[in-house]
Amino acid sequence: MTETNVNSSTGKKWRRGIEPAVAVAALALLAVFPSFVSSPYLLHLMILLFLSTIMGQSWNLVGGYAGQYSVGHAAYFGAGAYTTMLLMQRFQIPPWIGVWAGMAVAVVVALVVGSICFRLRGPYFVLASIAVAEILRLSAMNLKELTNGAEGILSTEVPPLTIASRLITDFSSKVPFYYLGLVLVVLTLVVTVVVQHSKLGYYFQAIREDQDAAHSLGINLTFHKNVALCLSALLISLAGSFYAIYIGFIDPPTVLGLDISVQIVLICIIGGIGTIYGPVVGSLVLVPLSEGLRSNIIAEAIFKTGLVSPESGVGAFLKENLAHAHALIYGVLVVVVILFMPDGVLGYLKKMASKRKGVRP
Amino acid sequence: MAILEIKNVSKFFGGLAANADVSFEVGQGSIMGLIGPNGAGKTTLFNCITGYYAPSRGEVIFKGNRMNGLQPDRVCKLGMARTWQKVRPLAKMTVLDNVMVGALCRTNSLKVAREIAHEQLTVVKMDAKSSFLAGGLPIGERKKLEMARVLATKPELLLLDEVMGGLNQAESEEIIRLILDVKERGITQMVIEHDMKAIMRISDRIVVLTSGEKLTEGSPQEVVSNQAVIDAYLGESHI
Repeated sequence: MTETNVNSSTGKKWRRGIEPAVAVAALALLAVFPSFVSSPYLLHLMILLFLSTIMGQSWNLVGGYAGQYSVGHAAYFGAGAYTTMLLMQRFQIPPWIGVWAGMAVAVVVALVVGSICFRLRGPYFVLASIAVAEILRLSAMNLKELTNGAEGILSTEVPPLTIASRLITDFSSKVPFYYLGLVLVVLTLVVTVVVQHSKLGYYFQAIREDQDAAHSLGINLTFHKNVALCLSALLISLAGSFYAIYIGFIDPPTVLGLDISVQIVLICIIGGIGTIYGPVVGSLVLVPLSEGLRSNIIAEAIFKTGLVSPESGVGAFLKENLAHAHALIYGVLVVVVILFMPDGVLGYLKKMASKRKGVRP
Repeated sequence: MAILEIKNVSKFFGGLAANADVSFEVGQGSIMGLIGPNGAGKTTLFNCITGYYAPSRGEVIFKGNRMNGLQPDRVCKLGMARTWQKVRPLAKMTVLDNVMVGALCRTNSLKVAREIAHEQLTVVKMDAKSSFLAGGLPIGERKKLEMARVLATKPELLLLDEVMGGLNQAESEEIIRLILDVKERGITQMVIEHDMKAIMRISDRIVVLTSGEKLTEGSPQEVVSNQAVIDAYLGESHI
């Protein structure tokens, strides 16, 4: 192993000066984005990016920092989504009140999960976390009186948001959702930064690196793991509520499915686990990729090169099969990234940057 | 005055007695050596004292408090800290952050923890490596880092499990000086060590374990001239 100095002078300069400037500039650009772009599809894509970032970043708190690889985070996402949606549809409680109930439910679920699963370590914890999420999904599927079962819940109308009887927004376009998503992204990032630079962050990382050593240094393992999970559940339930209101329809597979849990973990693995910007980068890779493949972007690109005509037999074959193979292509790309960039895209870029400067990695 | 009392401690793994009826006292401010052949139950005893195992029988009394059944984090908060035979650096954290985690045991402020950490790193002469990743350090520095990290928890009793294992002569010498320094500061220590020269130099008293039982206890001179210890552990050539 080579000795690594992580605090070179260029690193300090980057953290102190350039990084905050870039963050503020990016935020300013995002804030004015809807004034220049009116395409609903682009706004939709941005909202999906925001959602993905929130989901990844909240997992990052417990998975990336505290090192507890939960593959059942759909449970908290779904808890938020179902609570907010049910309160709105059954009791006409507006979502900005329902979302608090959603967070409360998610935290209760997290405490139950934590008190059971945190007795286990490593792969056993992973399996237990999957099992709990599956229990929730099956319950939502079968408790038909409460959840409508497999039919799911369709939101009829989101009540307009008024403050002191002044109309703020009636949610009739994508723009209010865009800003709501942006605020939630900033909130999750700020929470992560604050946690990272606190005693809690140090303790989370110590637990990730070596539980026994952490225990011997005065760290209460169960307590701190539960704190990490509850924080994470709070944030991701926000994402769940947001998703439910934005899409307007939820059913057990789309908000409680195992593939959602896996997707959440992938965002971090692809971007870079345990880093502030990892989930952002992961979302920037995964969301356009998944959307592009769904809209058959590869076949379109091949036709544009003129090598294959869309009318030919081969063209028809490509058009038909590339659209259906999007999950396969997505999977292969994910495997490639994991194989060649074990520290995620962000880790890979950092490594390349230090190589170019001639610094030994 | 005894800071630590071990009273008839036994630890069974199934039918195997890793510790059987071990009793001794560690005097405040002294250094107690713990020696014995491999598998004698030295590390098991450390685990029973620091809360990693609950003793099957007997009592561990620290500063008058019964410690049986307390979790390791509580034990650390009460002022007893340990190092590990196989070092356990927090690999992906920097040297400074490693020691800060220890210091945070006594403070909630990162600023204070950072000051304590720098202080302790200076004591082990590793402050120049503060910003290096702990996982990349060579073994000698990992052992020193581990010392700095436990010292940062401000212990009154320090349990060192083979801190000189795998070190060369110069590095061992450095650790010995450090242990004697720590004693000067009034911190009681219990040391497991195989290097007899080192243990003779630093210990005020020595306890010898074999097959889980206490064979004898006494001053270093008494212990090395004890025929039972020579037969069980040291061998004739040692004299």
